[in-house]
Amino acid sequence: MAIRKLLTVIGAIAIIALVSSSFKLYEKTTDVEQTSQVENSVGVSSDMGHDEESVTGMSGMGGVMKFYEYSGFNNVTAGHLVMILVGLIFIFLAIKYDYEPLLLIPIGIGILIGNIPFMEGVGLKLGIYEEGSVMNYLYYGVTAGIYPPLIFLGIGAMTDFSSLISNPKLMLLGAAAQIGIFLTFLGAIFLGFNPPEAGAIGIIGGADGPTAIFLSSKLANGINLYNGETVLNLIGPIAIAAYSYMALVPVIQPPIMRLLTNKNERVIRMKPPRVVPKLEKIMFPIIGLLLTGFISPSSLPLLGMLFFGNLLKESGRTKRLADTARNPMIDIVTILLGLTVGASTQATVFLKGTSLMIFGLGAASFIIATAGGILFAKFMNVFLKDGEKINPLVGAAGVSAVPDSARVVQHEGLKYDPTNHLLMHAMAPNVSGVIGSAVAAGILLSFLA
Amino acid sequence: MEHLNLILLDSTMDFGITVTLIGYLIVLSALIFLFLVYLTLPKLLDMYTRSRMKKAGKVDAGESTIGHSGEVNAAISMAIFLCMNEKHDIESGKITAKKLSKRYSPWNSKIYTIQGGLNSRF
Repeated sequence: MAIRKLLTVIGAIAIIALVSSSFKLYEKTTDVEQTSQVENSVGVSSDMGHDEESVTGMSGMGGVMKFYEYSGFNNVTAGHLVMILVGLIFIFLAIKYDYEPLLLIPIGIGILIGNIPFMEGVGLKLGIYEEGSVMNYLYYGVTAGIYPPLIFLGIGAMTDFSSLISNPKLMLLGAAAQIGIFLTFLGAIFLGFNPPEAGAIGIIGGADGPTAIFLSSKLANGINLYNGETVLNLIGPIAIAAYSYMALVPVIQPPIMRLLTNKNERVIRMKPPRVVPKLEKIMFPIIGLLLTGFISPSSLPLLGMLFFGNLLKESGRTKRLADTARNPMIDIVTILLGLTVGASTQATVFLKGTSLMIFGLGAASFIIATAGGILFAKFMNVFLKDGEKINPLVGAAGVSAVPDSARVVQHEGLKYDPTNHLLMHAMAPNVSGVIGSAVAAGILLSFLA
Repeated sequence: MEHLNLILLDSTMDFGITVTLIGYLIVLSALIFLFLVYLTLPKLLDMYTRSRMKKAGKVDAGESTIGHSGEVNAAISMAIFLCMNEKHDIESGKITAKKLSKRYSPWNSKIYTIQGGLNSRF
């Protein structure tokens, strides 16, 4: 079963890689096509002006031909078909293998919507990048960085930080895993991206979709200038890469976990978490908000909302608000975010060599982050007494893919000791990873914006 | 800050390395700081509780020495769960439909029709 899943994923990646040649073909022909399309449309309108009679007396066949010119069949390119295929693979993975269906289905449908070919540049106001289109209005929530903080509000209202409060040393694993962000940032600069673009790419290693979208909308939005040059618009590729790798956590992480740990380490039993009093739970978001806010004010839109949501939950006085934040509100924002991010992968913008590089860097970032967490857990064990030691598998949850990473740790732990439940312990670095990646995003923003 | 950035921008790679080192150190130190705060917080709360109990003249019972294994806890939880479930099933058996306190209303009373009260308008 696992092999079949792996084959499906490899197959999907192979398809994308194989058609990369068509990407290049597409890039070369895009300008020519767009010019000819505009010429066609101008030609049509000038014909209409010159010979009004022929228009009014347009034959049925002429009408059909004009309809055909505007239809998707006339405007389709290899790039559109590739992206539609990618969208269908996303939907397949979500339904068949249950890989993050709440994200992959909206994104998959968004990819289909964004890649239905139409005649661009003639004022139809259909595309997500055309001002005045409905999708463009919805996409404003992404480009202006509105959706990610709202998602964080919902996450805060549904997260129980008890395991982190009861064993705060696990917070360090969340910090260690953020090495993936910074090393990928360096790698991206080495590959020729400018620092703001590299920062947006690096955050994929934080394995946090909303944070990745937030940072890319601020740094690599196709609007900002860096050294007099406009930065690339990388929101679509970065969001797709981040969410793809989050969905593929069960495929990517276990081999790294097995590679970096031995059998004795995988069966280490950790001390059960203590009971956390209500007062501590209430104080956690308030102290967290104040400290992280003072350290990195740029991370406030994300962490402020995260801790606000958590206080709604823990205060015990705002159940209605907490329920709204963690249920209807986060669902609505997830739908809008997934759909628009998917639609932003319009072939004309998305299918470029840089997208493939981003996918490669994202994978590297994710692997480094996982390895960083595991190795730091092993490093901590050198200083910890027997009975206090940390199961290094838990370190893999330092990436902030909540709660998938923690679930993978639990699953792997049970393989080697069916009575050793690591889920509660793994949740601590997992939520600390959320805090760590948001702080990292804030730091990158303050350096590179 | 801008001046600092300009100096650092001499070489993009140097700038990248600087951001990497400083950025990662800040993330690490921020979370270490949070770790230390959350490590100290329960101790402070415990001290505060003890001092309040001392003032009130109560004796601290100390930590519970009862060591329950996971299985015992699971059994207790299951018993509570079953008990609550059974409680839910106990119902009064009374019919819940209540008699209306208002016996007559203009909508069902014939008295208006007889006296022509409502129809007198038309």
